[in-house]
Order: sequence, then structure tokens, then C-alpha cells
Amino acid sequence: MTPSDDARVTLLLSLADDELILGHRHSEWTGWAPHIEEDLAFSSIAQDEMAHARLLYNLVGPILGRDEDSLAFGRQPEEYLNALLCERPNLDWGYSIARQYLYDTADAVRLEALTSSTWKELADLVEVLRLEETYHLDHARVWFQRLAEGPVTGRQRLADGLSTGIGEAVAIFEPLPEEEALVSDGLLPRQNEDLLADWLGAVGEELERVSLDFVLERHRSVGEMVPTGSGEVEEVGQAFNVPGLVKRDGRWTHEGGFAGAGGRRGRHSPDFQALWEEMTGLFRAHPGARW
Amino acid sequence: MVRRAEDTTDLELEIWRALAQVHDPEIPPCSITDLGIVERVRVTDEAVEVDLLPTFAGCPALDVIRKDAEAAVGPAAGSRETRVRFVYSPPWTSDRITPEGRDALQSYGLTPPGNAPVGGAVRIPLGALRDRDAIITCPFCGSQQTELESAFGPTLCRSTHFCQACRNPFEAFKPKLP
Repeated sequence: MTPSDDARVTLLLSLADDELILGHRHSEWTGWAPHIEEDLAFSSIAQDEMAHARLLYNLVGPILGRDEDSLAFGRQPEEYLNALLCERPNLDWGYSIARQYLYDTADAVRLEALTSSTWKELADLVEVLRLEETYHLDHARVWFQRLAEGPVTGRQRLADGLSTGIGEAVAIFEPLPEEEALVSDGLLPRQNEDLLADWLGAVGEELERVSLDFVLERHRSVGEMVPTGSGEVEEVGQAFNVPGLVKRDGRWTHEGGFAGAGGRRGRHSPDFQALWEEMTGLFRAHPGARW
Repeated sequence: MVRRAEDTTDLELEIWRALAQVHDPEIPPCSITDLGIVERVRVTDEAVEVDLLPTFAGCPALDVIRKDAEAAVGPAAGSRETRVRFVYSPPWTSDRITPEGRDALQSYGLTPPGNAPVGGAVRIPLGALRDRDAIITCPFCGSQQTELESAFGPTLCRSTHFCQACRNPFEAFKPKLP
């Protein structure tokens, strides 16, 4: 089975839109971070992420016959395929760090797999991205450790942030349409399900190391937090939850479905609308404006 | 002035010399050849093609560097078309910076990547930026008593440090290595 152009586009836009939208959120810390080094850190990470999105848009552009500007700013909200985790507001420092940690650890697993993609141009770009993502991961881990060590308010905020973000972080690995074809052709070398297992297992170990695994316990059962089966995004507090985290043979794993997610199919939370309006405002007022 | 080289090999050398006059606007003393940005020069009957590697993908100086490179190569290329483009394979790594480039960074007050007390490029892992044992010498006084302030700085390619000996903040060119 050969994947269609649509499948390639979905794979690329998922990667690119995650970077663009989270980059946009990171950029909102510019001028507001707790101190100037962090102002520079989040601004630099945002700049990197937007550049990565740009490279990926330029790879997918010829298939769609569109340029990078029209892909970044010229699409309707339901045409963006980012994971919901990336579009949430920054909330507080605890959530921002928790989200960066969850996203960049997940991104690292996904990028490592893509280095062996049979799509040569994609595999080449991924090598470039990984060299830069190393610094993002480093930043997230330093802050993760610092907040986890306390004092208690910081640790609590990190735990709350992880709890808010963990479900939507799982949905980064929501299966793609035509995923089977992408995998059998080697464009996506491993199934999202496998990548999720690797990532969640490793995150589970790291949370246990700092005694924050109670965050995962909260999402253990398919309980009251189940979103509707229709796939609509439901708000539960700050975020909806992909439920069904369980520990098997000493390793955390995901046994629930992805109902309520849908980022890879263009479904978004109410938070996306305001972001989209601001991000695309200039381009909509001046169609054809260049990056 | 339009100059003509006898054969393509001579012309290639001339192109390389022209590119050695192009500087990264964010690091003025360092030419793009010393930064290891120039991956390939190819001369055909019709065109002069130059492949450049971006240091960091989001570097805002890339367009300026490409235009400056085109302008520098133009006179030597003569009637041939000049094509300067950025490519992403192989990825640029900081060990592509030449010894001359490292000296230029140092004299500019920017500690070269993988800086060590005795000469030569030393590969250090990224995590070592924070490691107490990693040696990032102060570009002003040469002291090794320095601290990492942040892996991020005024440009994407720089980290920020503080020297305990001369009490100066300073910047280093970030290592970028697999």
C-alpha cells in the first residue's frame, strides 16, 4: 500500500503545525518571563520552532502548490493539524515548563524515529532539527528538575501543570489517517502507538524518580473524565483528558483511546480561535504578505 | 570588472576566495568560509552554484548572507549565472569552524565552541555546557573559573556566561554537535 499525497501532507503538517503553534505560545513569554535569561530562552526556542515549521512547510509546499507564508498563515482553523497541547494558553510558569517538558520529550522520540524515514528530504531535515532541539530539551529538563525539587509552591505548580497537560501530550501520538500506509512505506518508520509506549514509559520513570508519578495515577482509570465518544473536544477544567494510563510490569502505558483528541484531524479547543485570529491577522489583512 | 579564469578549477578557487570576503553580520570578524558555512562550489559552463549550510535554522542573518555571497561571487562568475542557496544536508556542526575562525571568534570576545585551555578543537557534549568540569574559558582574561548563565543569548548561536576571575559577563558560540 502506497500512502497518498494526503497522507504525506498530514504527516508533515502535524509536525510543522506543532512547532509553529507551540512556537507562537512560547513567543508570548517574550517580555513577561520571570527573569531576562528566561525571556531570551523562550524567545530563542520560539524562533527555533518557527524556523523548523518553515523548513517543513517548504518540504510539503510543492505537493500542495502553496508557499510557506500561505501554509503558516493562510489556512482556516480546521486546516491546522497541531496537537491540542500546543495551542493551550501559557497559564502559569508551572504549566509552561510542564508542557515544554512533555512536548519536547515526545518530540525527541518522534524525531529520532524519523531519522530513518524513507523520505530522504524529511530524514535530512530531521537531523538539522534534532541538533537544535537538544537545547530545548536541556532547558525543559533543567527547569523540570528545579521545580520538582521545590519549594513546595513551585513543585505543586509543576505537578498541576503536568496533570493538566499529560492527557493532551499522549494525544501528540494520536494515530494519523492512513498511518498504516505511511508505516509500511517507511515514511513514518514506526507506528505512533510504539512511539507513545517509548515516550510514556520514559516519562513515567522520570516522574517516579522525583515522586511525581501520582500525576499519572490521577489519569489511571477511564472514569468521569471520559470525553464523549463522538470525538468532540470536551473541556474538563483547563484541558480535556485522554484517559486510560495504566502501569503494566512496572512501566506506564496508555490503554485508552483517543476520543476527544482529534488535533491531527483539524479539531481544536476553543483556545485555538483567539490564537489563530492573532497569528493570522496580518496575513488576512494583507494577503500575500511575506514572512 | 569582469575577470575570466582559464578553466573551471581556477574559477572555483576564485569563487572560494570571494566567499572568504563575506562575513556573517552577527559575527563580523568571522568569514563564512571560516565558519564552515560554505559546503560546495560548483562551476559549470552556464552557472556558478554555491551551497551554503545555515548554522541555526532560525538565524535571521541567512538572507543577508545569501545576498552578500551572491554579490561577492558575481564579478568572478562573469557571464555565468550565479546560484547561491541554502541546503540542509549535511547539517552544519560547530566543528566545521576552522582554526582561523576560532581565533577570530576569540578576538571578537566570543569564546569558540568546545573551548579548551590548549589549542585545537575539542568535542564536548551539549550537556557539558552546564557541567562543572567543562572548560569554557573567559575570552577576556583566559580564566577557566566561569559559570554558565544560560544556554541562550542575544543570538541563536550564543550562550551566556560569567567570569568569576575578571567579573565580566561574556558570550560563547554554542557547540552544535551530534
